[in-house]
Amino acid sequence: MEKLNYEKPIISKITAGVPNKFGLSTKQRIIAEIDSIPVAKLADEFGSPLFVFSEKTIRETYNKAKQTFETHYPKVQFAWSYKTNYLDAICSIFHDEGSWAEVVSVFEFEKALSLGVKGSNILYNGPEKSEENLKLAINHNACIHIDHFDELYLLIKITQEMNKKARVAIRVNLDAGIYPMWDRFGFNYENGEAWSAINRIMLADNLELIGLHTHIGTYIMSALGYGIAATKFSSLMVGIHRKFNLWLKYIDLGGGFASKNTLKGAYMPGSETCPTFDDYAKAISNAIITSEIPHENLPILFLETGRALIDDAGYLITSVLANKRSTTGRRTIVIDAGVNLLFTSFWYNLGVFPSREISDLMEDTTIYGPLCMNIDVIRDAINFPQVKTGDRLVIERVGAYNVTQWMQFITYRPNVVLIDLEGKAHIIKKKESLETLRVNEFNPKR
Amino acid sequence: MQILEEIKISDNGFVFNALTGESFSLNPIGLEIIKMIAANSDFDEIRKTILDKYDVDDLSFEKDFYEFSTMLKHYQLTQQNNPLNFV
Repeated sequence: MEKLNYEKPIISKITAGVPNKFGLSTKQRIIAEIDSIPVAKLADEFGSPLFVFSEKTIRETYNKAKQTFETHYPKVQFAWSYKTNYLDAICSIFHDEGSWAEVVSVFEFEKALSLGVKGSNILYNGPEKSEENLKLAINHNACIHIDHFDELYLLIKITQEMNKKARVAIRVNLDAGIYPMWDRFGFNYENGEAWSAINRIMLADNLELIGLHTHIGTYIMSALGYGIAATKFSSLMVGIHRKFNLWLKYIDLGGGFASKNTLKGAYMPGSETCPTFDDYAKAISNAIITSEIPHENLPILFLETGRALIDDAGYLITSVLANKRSTTGRRTIVIDAGVNLLFTSFWYNLGVFPSREISDLMEDTTIYGPLCMNIDVIRDAINFPQVKTGDRLVIERVGAYNVTQWMQFITYRPNVVLIDLEGKAHIIKKKESLETLRVNEFNPKR
Repeated sequence: MQILEEIKISDNGFVFNALTGESFSLNPIGLEIIKMIAANSDFDEIRKTILDKYDVDDLSFEKDFYEFSTMLKHYQLTQQNNPLNFV
């Protein structure tokens, strides 16, 4: 006699409460394949855990953002935020689509150059630029975004010594109604510091002021904030023109657009609350177009969008190591990917999904990583079906920041794979080994 | 292991604890097993019944049964030893 399918015995407590107040589906979503490649096949071939990026999603998201902004504003240029994801293969896709490079360190600057980005198409941000770094940027004609007066005066000194011109913008911090206000970077708008910096730059023979830059924060849920920033920049541009008869070439509103990930403590899922590219584009373009800037002098709008362009294209495939019960009877599972690989798990309630149809019986579950550390919690509480050791799970929307902020801890960092437009998977970063980790280690002889 | 007398188990997997007012739900195999426990079957009998009927190996079932019975105990559906009765 053929045996029946087995499912582990489960008893769950029924708790009274308001069921599903948002009317969202309670049916467990399955991610069985990524760009038509079965998750199990990817894990079998490249190991687990495994980061997987979809070239198709990257290009589609980029083009959607670009088209949306270009519908609202005539001159838009994206600059790929290297710190969000600086794997060569990922950066190359953005450059292929026409993105400039936005870098915040000499490492990123050199990486952009090595990928064939012209120096003049690099926006050099950040508070950390040494004399040597600035010389590199000047020699490559990069757009240097000055962060503070010390950097401004250093640039004046260097350009005099080199007898070369530097193309500069200033980073401005301003009150855009976003809390907390990011005032640690750049010159303040409201107290006149930015205006003072502009005046000093205009007096310097070797500095060419070409733009204004701001970055009002990260994961900004209000498109209005960008509108306020654009309004303030427009009036600053008009002020510069009145005093110096100069129309700046660009305004750079930085990044910070939210992705569809859900922030910890958020009431609603991010996919429901995240503004669309259209919302951001409308707020920004309305502010610039309705300002006093004549149409023929409208600045190029630079956007350093990172998270919103790459988060959706990244997945992490992971495997179940163990099922456990806590002392309170709560179900916990241990997976083979920890917080050292998923820096964003500290901010987000990341979406974790099975890769095959399993039991419909859901239970409140805590998902732990494999690190021998108490902080290694991927999800505090998630309604999750029963899974077995070895089952593959997929964590979605992990494309931003994880493969730059990940930490080599206890284990080797895993393979990273890109699925190209033809549906072929390529390793774009190889799993670490003892040799690669030891390459820069030295053990003095005793 | 014995299920408390006050525990009522319906044929569709609904469990009610008349002592505490709490209610629980069981999946079909959970229902089958709890009924066998209530009928005083021991582990060996339960294991044989399940292994004969379902596509599962011995060790996997033992692991699952252990977890299931731990949860029955945790939810106080089984008779607990009287902690004061230690003499």
